[in-house]
Amino acid sequence: MALTLLTFSPLIGVALILLLKPFGRETDDGIRGIALISSVIIFVVTSALTIAFEDNGALQMVVDVDWIPSLGIGYRLGIDGLSVLMVWLTSFISMLAIWSSFKAIDHQVKQYYIFMLLLEVGMMGVFLAQDLFLFYVFWEFTLVPMYFLIGIWGGKERVYASIKFFLYTMAGSLLMLLAILYMGIKADTFSLVELIAVRDLFGADEMVQNMLFLGFAIAFAIKVPVFPFHSWLPDAHTQAPTAGSIILAGVLLKMGTYGFVRFNLPLFPDASVNFAPLIAVLAIIGIIYGAVVSFAQTDVKKLVAYSSVSHLGFVMLGIFSLNEAGIQGGILQGVNHGLSTGALFFMVGVLYEQRHTRAMDAFGGVWKAMPVFSVLSLVITLSSMGLPGLNGFVGEFSILLGTMGSPVLGPAWIYTAFATTGVILAAVYLLWMFQNVFMGPLDKPENQKLVDVNPRELAIMLAFLVFIVWIGVAPSPYFNTMGESVAALMDTAITPALEQAATAITSVAP
Amino acid sequence: MEANLEWYIGLSTILFTIGALGVLTRRNAIIIFMSVEMMLNAANLAFVAFARHHANLDGQLFVFFVMTVAAAEVAVGLALIVAIFRSKQNINVDDLNLLKG
Amino acid sequence: MNTFGIAPLILIFPIIGVLFNGLAGRRFIEHDREIGERWSGWFASAMALMSFAIAVSLFFVLRGNEYHAETITLFDWFNIQIASWGMNFHIPWAIQVDTLSVTMMLVVTGVGSLIHIYAIGYMHGDANFSRFFTYLNLFLFFMLILITGNNYMMLFVGWEGVGLCSFLLIGFWFEQTDEKGSAVNVDAARKAFVANRVGDLAMILAMSLTFWTFGSLTFDTVFAEALAHAGDDPGAAVVYLPWMFEEESEAIEPAVAITHDEMMTDDHGEAVDDHGEAIDDHGEAMDDHGEATDDHGEAVDDHGEAMDDHGEATDDHGESKGHYTPVPVDHQHASGGLGISLGAMLTAITALFLIGATGKSAQIPLFVWLPDAMAGPTPVSALIHAATMVTSGIYLIVRSNVLFELVRESGYEMFGLISSPTLVAYVGAFTAVYAGLIAFTQFDIKKVLAYSTVSQLGFMIAAVGMGAYVAGMFHLITHAFFKALLFMGSGSVIHGMEHGHHDLHGHGHGDDDHDEDAHGDEHHAEAHGDHFDPQDMRTMGGLREQMPITFAVYMVGALALAGIFPLAGFWSKDEILAHASSNGFHPDGWQFEFIGVYALLSIAAVCTAFYMGRQLKMVFFGEPRHEAAKHAHESPPTMTYPLIVLAGLSIFGGMVLNLPYLFGEHDHAEGFYLMLEQWLHHSITSFSLTEAGIVHMPHTPLTLSYMVAGLSTILAVGAILGAFYGLYGNRPQTADEKDPLESTPIWWMAVLPLNTLYMDYLVPVFNRVADWTAFRLDWEIWHDMVHDKLIRDPFVGASKVASEIWDRKGVDGVVNGVGRVANWLSGVMRLSQTGFVRNYALSVFLGVVLLLAYFWLMAS
Repeated sequence: MALTLLTFSPLIGVALILLLKPFGRETDDGIRGIALISSVIIFVVTSALTIAFEDNGALQMVVDVDWIPSLGIGYRLGIDGLSVLMVWLTSFISMLAIWSSFKAIDHQVKQYYIFMLLLEVGMMGVFLAQDLFLFYVFWEFTLVPMYFLIGIWGGKERVYASIKFFLYTMAGSLLMLLAILYMGIKADTFSLVELIAVRDLFGADEMVQNMLFLGFAIAFAIKVPVFPFHSWLPDAHTQAPTAGSIILAGVLLKMGTYGFVRFNLPLFPDASVNFAPLIAVLAIIGIIYGAVVSFAQTDVKKLVAYSSVSHLGFVMLGIFSLNEAGIQGGILQGVNHGLSTGALFFMVGVLYEQRHTRAMDAFGGVWKAMPVFSVLSLVITLSSMGLPGLNGFVGEFSILLGTMGSPVLGPAWIYTAFATTGVILAAVYLLWMFQNVFMGPLDKPENQKLVDVNPRELAIMLAFLVFIVWIGVAPSPYFNTMGESVAALMDTAITPALEQAATAITSVAP
Repeated sequence: MEANLEWYIGLSTILFTIGALGVLTRRNAIIIFMSVEMMLNAANLAFVAFARHHANLDGQLFVFFVMTVAAAEVAVGLALIVAIFRSKQNINVDDLNLLKG
Repeated sequence: MNTFGIAPLILIFPIIGVLFNGLAGRRFIEHDREIGERWSGWFASAMALMSFAIAVSLFFVLRGNEYHAETITLFDWFNIQIASWGMNFHIPWAIQVDTLSVTMMLVVTGVGSLIHIYAIGYMHGDANFSRFFTYLNLFLFFMLILITGNNYMMLFVGWEGVGLCSFLLIGFWFEQTDEKGSAVNVDAARKAFVANRVGDLAMILAMSLTFWTFGSLTFDTVFAEALAHAGDDPGAAVVYLPWMFEEESEAIEPAVAITHDEMMTDDHGEAVDDHGEAIDDHGEAMDDHGEATDDHGEAVDDHGEAMDDHGEATDDHGESKGHYTPVPVDHQHASGGLGISLGAMLTAITALFLIGATGKSAQIPLFVWLPDAMAGPTPVSALIHAATMVTSGIYLIVRSNVLFELVRESGYEMFGLISSPTLVAYVGAFTAVYAGLIAFTQFDIKKVLAYSTVSQLGFMIAAVGMGAYVAGMFHLITHAFFKALLFMGSGSVIHGMEHGHHDLHGHGHGDDDHDEDAHGDEHHAEAHGDHFDPQDMRTMGGLREQMPITFAVYMVGALALAGIFPLAGFWSKDEILAHASSNGFHPDGWQFEFIGVYALLSIAAVCTAFYMGRQLKMVFFGEPRHEAAKHAHESPPTMTYPLIVLAGLSIFGGMVLNLPYLFGEHDHAEGFYLMLEQWLHHSITSFSLTEAGIVHMPHTPLTLSYMVAGLSTILAVGAILGAFYGLYGNRPQTADEKDPLESTPIWWMAVLPLNTLYMDYLVPVFNRVADWTAFRLDWEIWHDMVHDKLIRDPFVGASKVASEIWDRKGVDGVVNGVGRVANWLSGVMRLSQTGFVRNYALSVFLGVVLLLAYFWLMAS
């Protein structure tokens, strides 16, 4: 019940916003205030939930109500170590995204904040749903508000970008829908827990299992995005309003990686083992490719957008290293990427609001004009670069450690070595960006007029930084929220699959 | 020579045919009207002839009905024709093709 | 936790400094320049001094504890249970106080404090005065993390953190541009960071390998595990990593499946038995293996006890051994499985450490960033790029001495050519010579020192590569003294030259107060429009008269660096050379590799003396070659006092710290000779291994070798005199005169093959590739062509076809067709409706006729 409330609580905000008009008090500031306050309350609640959450490897606070009993579809929610951080991240990023758009959004304010809150509902639902059908509903539902956020408040090419975003992700999801239907009908239930319990029903045939795996994997890979499926990302990111980019990078991409952990690994462990090297290779290509492409960008926002491809490559690599260090690192790196890249997008947004351009060569020497902002941006940049002591490193290192110790990748050191070049390349493109924007001579008259952060912007950046530093220095509480769940995942799914694969080798060996 | 039934029937038929042809071929509404009357009277003649032949008054009775109806018809029909004439200034039925599909 | 509990303070003070200057420093200075600077600068210096005080206290505490190391654990950093492999990735934030770390703390905070004080004078008037001190304190913090951490991860935090500070400080004057308008300082800063990151890549790989091999990254645990598994013969122990059980692995043996399965099961022994029967051939081997595992368990226990000697640190160690059941290192013979020998694994780890060290300590092939790093303010060059940060590579290798010595012991050679410690030695030796030669060709006073630093770091790396850890540390310390001295001296010279230049142009003569203020914001920038470079030695000359104190201390530093008796550099450099020669010409049989190192280092030593002689001559002697040099004057006391202190250290530091036995081994007065050696013995584990006979480490001779010392001194003096009276005897007379070496092959060094390779070939190629990938491949091909042209456009096209042909003509056709048929039919039907009453009448008749006909027919 509590989770239902949590999922749909943004709707209360929506209702309040809608009620303003009948009471004759509809002002833009009022709408903003209500949206912010409701998101803050949700954040406080999820934070409390996260702190109080004790990971025992099982689903907690389960809601299980029949929905369409004849098909085995239920309204099932639950939270465990794999999702609790994601829920927290959703509320955190939504809150800051709402707050960050106070100045940037000045038309159709009401619709904007309603869409933001609806988006939060969708994202919460994705992370909490424990029924494949319900999950699919939420999964697709998130597209709608995002579609409008990009399409109405976006940049010049917003229509193109929003349609591309919608269709691209939708196309992938259809395969997932097929897979879901196949399993649901075969097992006569859509409950994730039950499906995992009877996964041999559809997983016994290797071919079937692989196809189902792919059905899910493609949907998630597009969302992540894994290397060749990233083409929607730069469009969506560059065209979305700042807050849209923050949410897109911060949460929506994580839905993909979360999906892999939540569905692919436990439902199709054997296929996961089979496909791990392939996905790891794609992830590594993504790491390097994203970084190289980032480096060449002249648009700061696009640079940050492509850096997501690189960072999410790390996350994917961690998940498919199929050991605890990698998976935990991957989940945490998802959070880290949400924080760092969200903050980077916010940084770009602050600059854009003042200069109305994102071209790198329009800036230079900003540090002189905006010292506080620049120092904060530096820390954010460094966090994205994976400087030890900040959050990015914690995730990255766990992932690389996991990759080095991965039992499924063959000569794992080669994978690790290639993946680690991402660390160098991250320094290359992020420092390049930092140098061009913040350092160098302050020789452009427009830049000399830049004013340093206002209290709202400062507060948002500090909010990001608190967690950037906290996770960097003392990530144990974060790891503790998922340790048991990941261990359970390993015990029940991955390790047996690895053993089975090992037996297969035995039978082949002379 | 005593007129027998055949003659009456024959006359009635001739009258009816003349009336029918009149209705079908003439353009003047009044004449068509008169032709209709002629057909009615042809029918009356037949009724009367058969009533006489069968020694039964039913036929005679029907003739009264027909005449009443015809009188009513004349009243309505002429009124209509007058009304049409007033609006169209002529009573040529070929001009009255408002029902043409 | 007794008095070791003060150790965390050493980290806290610099952080307080960072917070103070970072948050409030600017306000102070904006409020009142003079007082604000004093607050900002002295507060930072005070924090450095406090840290130094803590370091000194720790020194005494450690002595009081009979040199037993102590670990102070603050809180957990990482804690990931890796149950599937029976490991726990547990990394605490913990400070290890042992003689090695305390030595480094003393150097870092001691020299660091002096440089802080010096910087108060040097940075006077700079617009970002407080920012500078924020960075300096931050640097101190990270450097201290680097050297105090008790595990590789903390070392790495410091490692990258100092890299960050280096980046920030090199790019401190980030607005400054060259003639072409590119921000050179920032480019240099970025170059430093990226080059360091290349080394960091190797560090990350090395740490991951270390963890999977030994189940920990804590120094003591790693070394203990390494020793336990090495046993008597590190060449025989076999290491398994989780992925070494895949089919693709190098040596495919029938045992694959077994070992694989076995590693998957928690219980080692049982699995072995099951399979031992299954595969007869390997049955025996497996049994052996089972026993070996037991032995091994004991070995670990033994070792655990042994580790008690090393103090409380074993607590951690014992703990982590608890959840560390299926030991990935095994006694099974190398050829029997897919694992690789411990020697090979350690070789990989140590070689990767070497790459890390080449990045941070500026060795071939990654040294190219250090000369450019001189773009930073001079105190930074002294602190970071000479005395402390660049030595962290040496610290890393000294810290990992056990691993390096085990590789040497195992006899494993990379590609059958060279063992990793020897490679370390040669990298160092070649760098020493190479950078020494490049230094000949430089005209920038700081660049000479920069290459000299690279060269000296080469000495240290060579030393630690040869196993002369104390000698390496010794040189590290003395080098910190005299190189900091030289850099700060050169800063003083630059300062003097700038002021001389300033006096000359802007403000007439003698207005002393004013010129203090003027150098500031535009410090280093082309304040006066012309291209006067205050760092160009060709514009100097004769400064000994204008700047007597600077001259005196610079002379001391230069001679110490050149290795002139009895200055600090003489002792430390000589110890390295003695080690190389005595092991090279050992009576037990010559060791060729050490002879090579000896020869190279001797050449490098000659080079050192030569370029220092050249520099002294060009800067301080002869006649002033530029008006600015004539008007230069001495620097303020905040700058000169630290120089004097360092000069004292450069003179006496060598003798006091590690004076070798002068006349044979048994003449020593307790505690005076070889102090550093005795002191460091307590933390360089491989020494005790030598004594225990486990490894055969090459010994550094304890007695001064008159032959080696004499030879190197003669060479050094010869080189200085040669530079002084020979080559540069009365040249250059004017600033434009060519250098006598300019027509010799040595000058080719100035072209800097490596730097050219990187900057002119690698970087443009990378840029080209990046551009191509981003704009052609990703955008034009993948985004525009594949997605838009090949997917979207055909789709749009197909939908057009669908809408126009199929839909309009097809579906619509049918719909419309129905209508049209009805229409046509009605058209036909309407013909019957003529509107002529007679027609209707006719149809009535016809109907009657038809009816009649029907009845008639029916009737008949």
